[in-house]
Amino acid sequence: MGRKALKPTEDWEADVNSTKDLGEQLAKVCLETASRDNATYADIRLVNTVIETVSMINENPASEESNDLGAGIRVLYQNTGWGFASTDEVDPENIRETTRKALSLARGAAKIGSRLTLAKEPTHVASWESPRKKDSLTVPTETKFEVLEDATSRMKAEGVVARRSQIISTKIEKYFANSEGSRIYQDIAQTGAQIVVAAKGPSGIQRRSEQQYALEGYELIDAMDLPGKAPVLTKEVLELTRAQGLKEGRSDVIISADQLGLQVHESCGHPIELDRVLGYEANFAGRSFLSPDQLGKLQYGSEHVNIVMDATLAHGQGLGTFAYDDEGVESQRKYAIRKGKFVGYLMSRGTSQSVGEPRSNGCMRADTYQLPIIRMTNVSLEPGDWDYDELIEDTKDGILMVANYGWSIDQKRYNFQFNCEKGYRIKNGSIGELIRGPGYSGITPEFWNACDAVCNRKSWTLWGTPNCGKGQPQQVMGTGHGASPSRFRNIRVFGAS
Amino acid sequence: MSQSLQKQIPLTERGHRVFDMVRKFARGAEEIEISLISTTGEYLRFGNNELGQSQSTKNRTLSVRLSSGKKQARTTTGRLEESFIKKAVEKAVSQLKTSPEDPDYLPMLGQQSYQTVSRYHTRTVEESAETKAGYVGRAIELARDNKLLASGVLGTSVDEGLIINTSGLESHYRGTGGYFSLTMDADNGNQTGYALSTFADISELDAPKVSETALERAKLNKAQMEVQPGKFDVVIDPHAWSEMLFFFIVSASAGYSPDFGTRQYKEGRSYLSGRIGEKIMGENVILEDDVYHPLQMGPPFDGEGYPKSKLTLVENGELRSLASSRISAHRYQDAKPTGHELPLPNPLGETPTNLVIRGKGPTRTTEELVGELDKGLLLTRLWYIREVEPRTKTLTGMTRDGTFLVENGEVKRPVKNLRFNQSLLELFSNIEKFTEPVRNTSFTGTAVLEPGVLAKDFNFTSVSPF
Repeated sequence: MGRKALKPTEDWEADVNSTKDLGEQLAKVCLETASRDNATYADIRLVNTVIETVSMINENPASEESNDLGAGIRVLYQNTGWGFASTDEVDPENIRETTRKALSLARGAAKIGSRLTLAKEPTHVASWESPRKKDSLTVPTETKFEVLEDATSRMKAEGVVARRSQIISTKIEKYFANSEGSRIYQDIAQTGAQIVVAAKGPSGIQRRSEQQYALEGYELIDAMDLPGKAPVLTKEVLELTRAQGLKEGRSDVIISADQLGLQVHESCGHPIELDRVLGYEANFAGRSFLSPDQLGKLQYGSEHVNIVMDATLAHGQGLGTFAYDDEGVESQRKYAIRKGKFVGYLMSRGTSQSVGEPRSNGCMRADTYQLPIIRMTNVSLEPGDWDYDELIEDTKDGILMVANYGWSIDQKRYNFQFNCEKGYRIKNGSIGELIRGPGYSGITPEFWNACDAVCNRKSWTLWGTPNCGKGQPQQVMGTGHGASPSRFRNIRVFGAS
Repeated sequence: MSQSLQKQIPLTERGHRVFDMVRKFARGAEEIEISLISTTGEYLRFGNNELGQSQSTKNRTLSVRLSSGKKQARTTTGRLEESFIKKAVEKAVSQLKTSPEDPDYLPMLGQQSYQTVSRYHTRTVEESAETKAGYVGRAIELARDNKLLASGVLGTSVDEGLIINTSGLESHYRGTGGYFSLTMDADNGNQTGYALSTFADISELDAPKVSETALERAKLNKAQMEVQPGKFDVVIDPHAWSEMLFFFIVSASAGYSPDFGTRQYKEGRSYLSGRIGEKIMGENVILEDDVYHPLQMGPPFDGEGYPKSKLTLVENGELRSLASSRISAHRYQDAKPTGHELPLPNPLGETPTNLVIRGKGPTRTTEELVGELDKGLLLTRLWYIREVEPRTKTLTGMTRDGTFLVENGEVKRPVKNLRFNQSLLELFSNIEKFTEPVRNTSFTGTAVLEPGVLAKDFNFTSVSPF
C-alpha cells in the first residue's frame, strides 16, 4: 500500500459516555474518507456491547462481564464490489485507515464482481430504546447468584449428575450512519436464562432444561421463576430415567410451542433467507428448496400455516425485534407463508430486487466486527383457533413432543430430524404415559402440509434462539420465533435406544 | 494490502503496561491475572461467482481475573485505554466482594516453562489480498468455464495471547492459520462438489488442487439416483467429518459439557463415566490429545497457563486416560494435572483441545480406500450433526455435496443425500482401514487431526429429495 505505519494512539480516549456522540464524530471521518476515495456508498456501525454472564454448575460459581466497543465499515465501490473492515481502535486515525482498508477490499472485489443495485430506503434520523422494566445490568450480580444458587440447590437429588443455571444480561448500543444521510442510534437490552438438570438411571443420562431469551430487562428473570421450576424439572428428569422409549412408526403428533419455535427456525426461517437462495451461502449454511420460481406458487404448508417475518415491537419483545436493521432499513412485518402458500423472503437492500421487491424488508444483521448478512428477525407461526385443552381432547391417538434435545436438517432444508427431551402418549383425548427421548422426522413441505390445527394466542409464546450460526467466519445471532402448540398428522416418530 | 499493517507495539510489551494499570486499580484483590488476546483476520468470501463479502477484522480482548480468599471474579473489555481498564477492574473488584466462594479455588500458578511450538508464519501474515484474490478469481473462472457457481472463503488469521499473573506466570503464544473452503454447484444446489484445505503457513496451500477437487466432484455429482436407506459400507473422506468427531468430546446430555475431563468423569456427567479400562471402540483406533503434533494449532499451555501434556485417551480401543487440571488433582488423589483447564473460573470441567485421531498400522490414501471398497458409498461431506443419545453416542446428520455409489473399487454414480443415525462408538468399532490424519478445524474453531476411513455398516435412515 505504501502508507506509513500508523502511530500508536493508545493515549486517545474515546468519549463513550455517549456512544451516539462518538458515533457521530467517527461517522464523519469514515464517510468523508469514503467519499473522497470515490466510494459509491458507505456505512459505519459503532457498537458498544456489555454482556454479563452469571452461572452456577453444581456448587461452582462463575461470573464474567465483558465490555466491547468497535466499529464495522462497509463500502461499495463502483456499484460492483463490496468491502468490509472492522476495528476495535475507535479513534479518528484508525477509522480513516479502516475505511481505506474496506475500500481496498471493495476495489479488489470490483475486479471480479458484477453490477449491484441497492434498493431504495428512506433516509432515517432516529433514536430508539428497547423497552425494559428493570435494567438487568444494574441488578447486583449477588442477586443473580442468589437466584441461581437457589435453583441449583433445589435440583439436588439422588441420581442427579449435573445441575446448571445461567443468567445473561446484554446491552447493545449501536450508532449507524450511511452516505445517504441516515443517522440511527439504538439502545437494545436483552436478557436470558437457562436451567439444566441431568440424571443418570437405567436408561442412561437424561436431561430436562428450560430457557428463554428476550428483548427485556430483569423482569424476564423474575417471571421465569427459576427456583420454582427447578424441582419440577428435577422430578421429571428422574422419571425420564425410568420411562419407556418410543417405537419407530407413524403417529399424529402435537408439538409444544418451544419445540415448534425451533422447527419454524430451521425449516422455514433458514430457507427463506434470500442470500442462501442466491448462492452466497452455498459453501457453508447451504442453499434452499424455496427457489424464486416457487414464490407465490408453492403450497409450503396447509391453510392453517401462516408464518410472518416481523421485527416490529408490535410483534413482541423477541431477539429479532429492533427499529432498524444493520444497513439502516426500518423494521417491518411481512408474510413468508400465508394460508400455506410461500409468499416472501428475508431480504437485504442488495438482494430484494432480484425477486422483484423494490424495498428490503430489513433483515441485515451482524455483531460489531462482522459484515452484516441476511438473518432471521422474528419468524413466527401465527396463532390459530384451537384452545390447547380442546386440541388434546380432539386427539385420539398421538404423541406430545416437548423441549428440544437435538436438531438437524439438510443444506436445502428439506430433510429434518428433531429429538425431544420428553414426550407423552395421548390416548382418547387425554395426556398419559411419559416417554423419554422421543423424536420425529420428515420432509419440510410434507410436514407443514400435514398441519391440521394450530393453538390460539392463549398458548402462543415468542421464544428466543440466542445462537443461530451462519456466515464465514461463523457469525452468531439471536432470533425470535413465536409459536403455539400445533398438531401434525401421520408423522414418522421414533425413540432413543 | 496484507494483515501486516498492524500497530507495532508488541503484545507482550503492551500486556505488561496493562498489567501495571490493573495492579494499580485492583484494590482488595489478593491475586491478579490478566489475559490479553489479539485476533486479526482477513476473509475473501465469495458466492454466486462473485467476491461479494470480503472482510478484514481486528479486535483485542483484555480479561482480568481477581481473587480474594476463595472468591474470584472475571471482567473483560475490548478497550485498552486506562479509563476503560479502570472501569473493568473496578467492576471485578465489586463482583469479588459479592461472589460466592468457589470451593475449588486454588492459588494462581507461578512461573512455568513450555516446550516451544513454532506456529507463526510470516508469509500467511504478509500475503497480499491481491494474491489471495487471485486464488479465488481462478476458482471462479474454473467454475464459470464449466457452467458452475463457485462459493466459499479464503481466510487467514493471526492469533496472539498473553497471560500474566501476580505469582510470576507469563505465558505467550502467537500463531497463524487459514483455510480455503470451496463449493462448486449448479441447478440450485442439486449438483454440488466440495473441497477444503487448511494451513498454518499459506505456502502449504495448493489452491488449484482445491479447485480441481471441487470441480471434479461437482461434475460427477449430477443426476443422482435414490438408494434405499439402510446399512452401507462407507469410505469417509478425511475432510468430511470434523463436526461429527467433535462429539467424541462433548455431550448435549448435560448441556453441551465436555466428556473427557476428570471432573465430569468423576461426577458422572460424562458418557464415559465408569468406563476407564473398558474397550469402547475397535482395537485399531488411537485417540490422542497432542498440541505438539506438527499439524496441530494453538498454545502449549491451558487457560490458567499450565503446560499441556500429550494424552493417550484411547489406545487399542480402550479408554485409557482423561484430560485433567490442578483442580482435579486437588480434588481427586488419583488425578494429575495435564494442562487441559479452560480459563478460570470454569465450572464446566477440563477438555482435550488438540485431538489427533489415527489408526494403527499402515495407512492408505482416500483413493486406495475407495479401491478396496467392494460395494458401498463414498461420503465427501457430513453436515448438521447432533447428538441423539449420549450413552451410545448416537448422532444424526446428513450427507451433502457429493455422495457416491462405489462398486468393485470404482466410483459408479452419485446418489441422493441421506440422513444417518449412527453410534460414533459403533462406527469406531467398524473401521477397517485408515488414511493419515489431516488437519481440520471444527465448527468451534479447535483443530482436529482426523483420518479418512473405510468402515462397515454405516446406518442411513432416510433420503432427501436431492
